[in-house]
Amino acid sequence: MNIFIREMRAHRKSLIFWSIGMLFMIVAGMGKFTSYTGSGQTMKDILDKMPKVLKAVLGFGTLDVTSASGFYGMLFLYLLIMVTIHAVMLGANIIAKEERDKTTEFLMVKPVSRFTVVTAKLTAALVNILVLNIITLVFSIAIVNQYAKGEQVNDDIFILMVGMLLAQLLFLFIGSGIAAVSKNPKVSASIATTILLVTFIIAILTDMNDKLAGLKYITPFKYFEAQQLYEGGLKPVFVVLSLVIISVMLWVTYTFYRKRDLKV
Amino acid sequence: MNVIEINNLTKTYGKSRGIIDVSFNVEEGEVFGFIGPNGAGKSTTIRTLLSLIYPTAGSAKIFGADCIKNAPEIAKEVGYLPSEVFYYDKMKVIDVLKYSASFYKKDCSKRIEDLAEIMDLDLKKRVDDLSFGNKKKVGIVQALLHEPRLIILDEPTSGLDPLMQQKFFDLLEEENKKGATIFMSSHVLSEVQRMCTRVAIIKEGRIIKLETMSNLTENNYKKFKLEINSGIDKNHFQINGVSNLELKGNIISFLYKGNVNTILKRITEIDLKNVWIEEPSLEEIFMHYYEKEA
Repeated sequence: MNIFIREMRAHRKSLIFWSIGMLFMIVAGMGKFTSYTGSGQTMKDILDKMPKVLKAVLGFGTLDVTSASGFYGMLFLYLLIMVTIHAVMLGANIIAKEERDKTTEFLMVKPVSRFTVVTAKLTAALVNILVLNIITLVFSIAIVNQYAKGEQVNDDIFILMVGMLLAQLLFLFIGSGIAAVSKNPKVSASIATTILLVTFIIAILTDMNDKLAGLKYITPFKYFEAQQLYEGGLKPVFVVLSLVIISVMLWVTYTFYRKRDLKV
Repeated sequence: MNVIEINNLTKTYGKSRGIIDVSFNVEEGEVFGFIGPNGAGKSTTIRTLLSLIYPTAGSAKIFGADCIKNAPEIAKEVGYLPSEVFYYDKMKVIDVLKYSASFYKKDCSKRIEDLAEIMDLDLKKRVDDLSFGNKKKVGIVQALLHEPRLIILDEPTSGLDPLMQQKFFDLLEEENKKGATIFMSSHVLSEVQRMCTRVAIIKEGRIIKLETMSNLTENNYKKFKLEINSGIDKNHFQINGVSNLELKGNIISFLYKGNVNTILKRITEIDLKNVWIEEPSLEEIFMHYYEKEA
């Protein structure tokens, strides 16, 4: 419990900053919505004529960006990138920081098992990502409704946040797994962030080229696309895939951290 | 009873050596010195005992329990001072110590205050504002605050001024009188000589000598220094038991281990101006171990 509290305190400031970042992103993002609707039908025409590749790069996909929920769906991609970066870095750093800051010889000679340490740290990380998710949900509902003009957006936002939570969990444990395996605590977070960026680029490539559609299974960004979540909710295949990856990375985190020599 | 039992402990890092086939015991109530130069394997041995790293072969027991399998249980009664202390920078000293104390199921607040007073440590400062020596003091308080039965110290006095070293050693002596076993590594031999009852000497990963301090310093070795009137052949003293033989001008010096009658007979054969027979310092004995194979 003391390790959990310590970690919660240590991450308090960072969580506040990330929350402010999310608020800023939603406010600034939705602020541009009026420029899409302002010109009415013409915008829709332009978008219809836009090539698929350009739409993919801009993150529109097939969303109707002239509706509030459609526009929020586009914004969601950026929110998703932010929270997954937060999650993957949190996961990597919370495990690696004792070795990085050379506090291993303090913490790990206490009467606690490595299992207990990892559990306390992961629990603190889980609470952090859950808080960030709920804050994003609350901000989103509060702000998107300002632009909705009677449109029902809450259900759409809610399903996106469920997808977002799964993505956060995925990257949290990818981060912790990497830190548990890596013998160099200073590079764990960089490796984890690199993996995130690579999967993001793969996601964009699959949007741009239909031939690469098969790659969608290896990038979590394709598991939780706004378009897909709006139309059919979470796809079972992606939920199962997420849970499998989460379980494997959780196993990796515990097993490797317990078995390897700690860097001191 | 043995507090620490090390059996054929080996730790290699890939192809590079850590420690090889290290075996020795530390008995309850002992102050045990573990000496050797930098890189000999002192810290590797200690970190294996603390299960920070795992042995390649062999095993070690603390309080009769396997030091890897039962690490959390053992840790309740172990206090450890690392050679370099690092703490959570943004925390205040008192918070670090309270955090440390929270791992032990006893109230340590009184003890923290007492120790801080003895060590002259400001509890309200932030860790990152402390000098190296002051961080070391935090480490000392942190290692002793739960009154452990076994105190493990890795290079304990580096960074402490002589006055603080004195206070620290007094503190350790007090703990030892209360029944704590102390296991300390060092390359500063005088501090080992002062405190320890037994020593293990480690070199290039292997234990090369295990002896009681009194044996090491008093019984076995004598340091001879002779001032002679006329030049002599250095080989005059090349006999069994003589080491560190040096001839500088008309001063000849060496360490001797063995029957004193033999050496005194040799000495009487030459024309002396002056003679000194002393207890050698541990440094001198120690250098002798190291130079032998160098």
